[in-house]
Amino acid sequence: MTLNLGVFLVSRLGYKKYEHVLCTLKVDSNGVITVKPDFTGLKGPYRIETEGEKQELWKYTIDNVSPLAQPEEEEQERRVLKDLGLHLEFWFGLFPQLYGRHKEYLSSLVGTDFELTVPGALRLFVNGEVVSAQGYEYDNLYVHFFVELPATSELTISGLWLSDWSSPAFQQLSGVTQTCATKSLGMDKVAYFSYPFTFEAFFLHEDESTDALPEWPVLYCEVLSLDFWQRYRVEGYGAVVLPATPGSHTLTVSTWRPVELGTVAELRRFFIGGSLELEDLSYVRIPGSFKGERLSRFGLRTETTGTVTFRLHCLQQSRAFMESSSLRKRMRSVLDRLEGFSQQSSIHNVLEAFRRARRRMQEARESLAQDLVSTSGALVS
Amino acid sequence: MRFMELGGGGRGTDVTREAGILRSAMAEVHVIGQIMGASGFSESSLFCKWGIHTGAAWKLLSGVREGQTQVDTPQIGEMAYWSHPIDLHFATKGLQGWPRLHFQVWSQDSFGRCQLAGYGFCHVPSSPGTHQLACPTWRPLGSWREQLARAFVGGGPQLLHGDTIYSGADRYRLHTAAGGTVHLEISLLLRHFDRYGVEC
Repeated sequence: MTLNLGVFLVSRLGYKKYEHVLCTLKVDSNGVITVKPDFTGLKGPYRIETEGEKQELWKYTIDNVSPLAQPEEEEQERRVLKDLGLHLEFWFGLFPQLYGRHKEYLSSLVGTDFELTVPGALRLFVNGEVVSAQGYEYDNLYVHFFVELPATSELTISGLWLSDWSSPAFQQLSGVTQTCATKSLGMDKVAYFSYPFTFEAFFLHEDESTDALPEWPVLYCEVLSLDFWQRYRVEGYGAVVLPATPGSHTLTVSTWRPVELGTVAELRRFFIGGSLELEDLSYVRIPGSFKGERLSRFGLRTETTGTVTFRLHCLQQSRAFMESSSLRKRMRSVLDRLEGFSQQSSIHNVLEAFRRARRRMQEARESLAQDLVSTSGALVS
Repeated sequence: MRFMELGGGGRGTDVTREAGILRSAMAEVHVIGQIMGASGFSESSLFCKWGIHTGAAWKLLSGVREGQTQVDTPQIGEMAYWSHPIDLHFATKGLQGWPRLHFQVWSQDSFGRCQLAGYGFCHVPSSPGTHQLACPTWRPLGSWREQLARAFVGGGPQLLHGDTIYSGADRYRLHTAAGGTVHLEISLLLRHFDRYGVEC
């Protein structure tokens, strides 16, 4: 269908302010033309009143005067578009007709290559936020957190520790939130941070010999409070393993802080500030320098403090996931699947028959052995 | 307004014809939902300015990227309801720069003055389905003089650069107070991510 439209502008030469738009035509990539305002039809003509010295009234109508397309013309146009779509499809892999144009528009915007991982690598992508901290003694809390990638316990010849996990060079694995004054929510005092972070790591399984499941990265956090005189006190240490399944997870990390025997340390903490601190934060889980089988924490005294809430959205990307889904699509035909099963079942039948025959032979041998002495060498085992 | 279609597409044509060739379709994300309301703020008569921020590999195909809700005064209970729609369609080339929603909640008093009630942030979830999100907010605290002035006259410190809400850099220098919570309901539709080996 073709449209013939004329757009008229009432204007005097050089006088821009006397221009009025009569009609706006918009065409979008889906082939839809928008005519605003609509064709007059049965309604009265549109009116324009001009201001100024001479107040004039203009009336105009918009009519659709394009002839209806012949069915042959429509068919021709459809064929042209289909061919165009096919051509594009060959190069871009797009659907013909409407969807073809849409896809072309999309790919022109974004580009055609989605970034993929190295074969054999698993990419862990975590969008997370430190949401809040609640249940702590003091006010003006802030959270210092970092993510630790596990190292395998193997020493290479050159003396370096091998690690299956790696992260991009620009990756920031730690963060400090702002200091937040708490407010009361029910029984607890809560501080809101809403601190965003993004974490990305690659897992490359170099050593095929070990069958152990991969260790997952750990998120350590430390809660501190800042008081009026800018002194800080440690409020708690905590750690949690990043979730191994993709999806949205809300993690609540319970924290503890080390205490000393006796009241002197607590009095000092209250009046002067400062308290026992951990030198190595990884002590919260397994210390980095730990070698052996049994970890003993005997002698460490701690006190339970509040909790920190993290919200994590995890995504995993790997070429292995691509292959399994394409394999699934290839096996989509029911006949294919049945064929596979029938082969398996025939092998199974043969094995079953052999086993039955063997059992009968053995029973026969046992019953015969009591009667006959083994002079007959005709028994086949 | 009148809509007309150009060409023969869409009318009785078979748009689901599949070609045997490998199609390279973009990974797309649909974010459909609403900002339901806010609760836990000390002020009533609240409105919210929201926006969505993405990385460079993401392109917004349709939908408005930011907006402002109406001012709502709760009559019953203390939750202010906005029910503001969010309807966005993104196409992407990578996982970096996953969309992030950020909010600024303001309160308007009877004299028409607007005062900041909180800044909030949350990531758009990455798994398909419907998610109920509660995003807590915080507001910057000034010196005690500024706090006193805020209580009597209004006003108060605001962030110079709005992108501090959704980036983490330099946050440690801020001294803030906890505000209320913004409640959202977001439904997510993901397309073609499995082609690129992404499990979500």
